[in-house]
Amino acid sequence: MEQQTKPVKRCTRCILPETFPGIHFDEAGTCQFCRRQPGPEKRTERKARLRARFEELVEQIRPRPGYHCLMAWSGGKDSTYTLWLLKKQFGLHVLAFTFDNGFISPTALKNIRVVAENLGVDYILTKPRFDLLRQLFVASIQSDIYPPRALERASGICNTCMALAKGIGLRLALEREIPLLAYGWSPGQAPLSSALFRTNPSMLRTFLRAAMAPLQKATDGKVQPYFPQERHLETAQEMPYNVSPLGFLEYDEASALRRIEGLGWQRPQDTDPNSTNCLLNSFANQVHLEQMGYHPYVMELASLVREGYMSREEALSRLKVAASPEVVAAVRAKLRIPHRWRQQPPGDRQ
Amino acid sequence: MSVQTTSVEATIRRYILESFLFTDDESQLPDDASFLEEGIVDSTGVLELVMFIEETFDISVEDEEILPENFDSVTQLARYVHRKKESDPT
Ligand SMILES: [Zn+2]
Repeated sequence: MEQQTKPVKRCTRCILPETFPGIHFDEAGTCQFCRRQPGPEKRTERKARLRARFEELVEQIRPRPGYHCLMAWSGGKDSTYTLWLLKKQFGLHVLAFTFDNGFISPTALKNIRVVAENLGVDYILTKPRFDLLRQLFVASIQSDIYPPRALERASGICNTCMALAKGIGLRLALEREIPLLAYGWSPGQAPLSSALFRTNPSMLRTFLRAAMAPLQKATDGKVQPYFPQERHLETAQEMPYNVSPLGFLEYDEASALRRIEGLGWQRPQDTDPNSTNCLLNSFANQVHLEQMGYHPYVMELASLVREGYMSREEALSRLKVAASPEVVAAVRAKLRIPHRWRQQPPGDRQ
Repeated sequence: MSVQTTSVEATIRRYILESFLFTDDESQLPDDASFLEEGIVDSTGVLELVMFIEETFDISVEDEEILPENFDSVTQLARYVHRKKESDPT
């Protein structure tokens, strides 16, 4: 079936579309994000500084007994590669945890079991009851529970999952006194500014309140068990550092894949190319695209293009991937979404 | 060297307007508007803000100083930058 496609104006350097909030192009057609982008020397310098700080931190932590690092492990390629780095390159004693949102692909779950064993890491699977998750996901798409800025980098559903995964991770790290909390964010997903930082109880209280409020509202206050409580903050001897190593280490997708395939990781055939672990993702993307008028991954892909990790053509082709109708239908059925979301023709994907 | 509070404030305001509110309409950001409570800046945004002021004003922000009382409004942040500059004149 031929679909009528209307051309979308995009930044001539990255791929951000004219529908992206607040975007403006100069005469050359370049967006303000590209214009403000620091030069490669500046970025190299920032990365080197972060790497040095991280290595220093690792030196301090490594002699300690117990777990050195708690890794938020989705089973996708980036977090699996990060896990390998932490264990093998940095020699850390890692505990991995996976937040199961009820939609992790069976291949990803198998990958988690196989890789954990082959790599020799302990892991914890946290699986909140599905009726609660369902309530949260339905709320994430049905009302504007997140401020617009939160939706620039991820769909409402992704925001909900990330809030839960971060909450669970932070609570585990505080309960078990693990000094480092690691994430597998790829260079496009997390700005360099948040690649290595330590939060403090006072700021954390403020952010926890903000992160929990929409989820508490959607569930009549049932998400408490997945977030740190005041007692965790009060009794903490030290606050964990947060680190996203892929933000400042060398990262090449092809060699990362080779590395993890050597550990028995297999690319799931049942998810879309933007996510190697989550079946909910393509549905979440579709809803976001329809509600916001731009693809939730466009900022991430644009960053990857801007920083030279991905070609413009490759990024554009990832936006054009249509959601699998079977997967979307299965997600809708599992979430019992009451009405059909309008399908967007692939050419309109932004 | 003394730093003019007004220019610090103006620089911070311009950055918040451009990077977080995507506008150049000054009226969108009162001096005492709470970044955190009004959802202008989120947890990732605060760290972007930290990097911005470190590089712009040539100061080093310690983890323990990233507090709501230092980072919650144009006025508070300008006051913090001012204090840092005075305690560590370069
Ligand atoms: Zn651009």
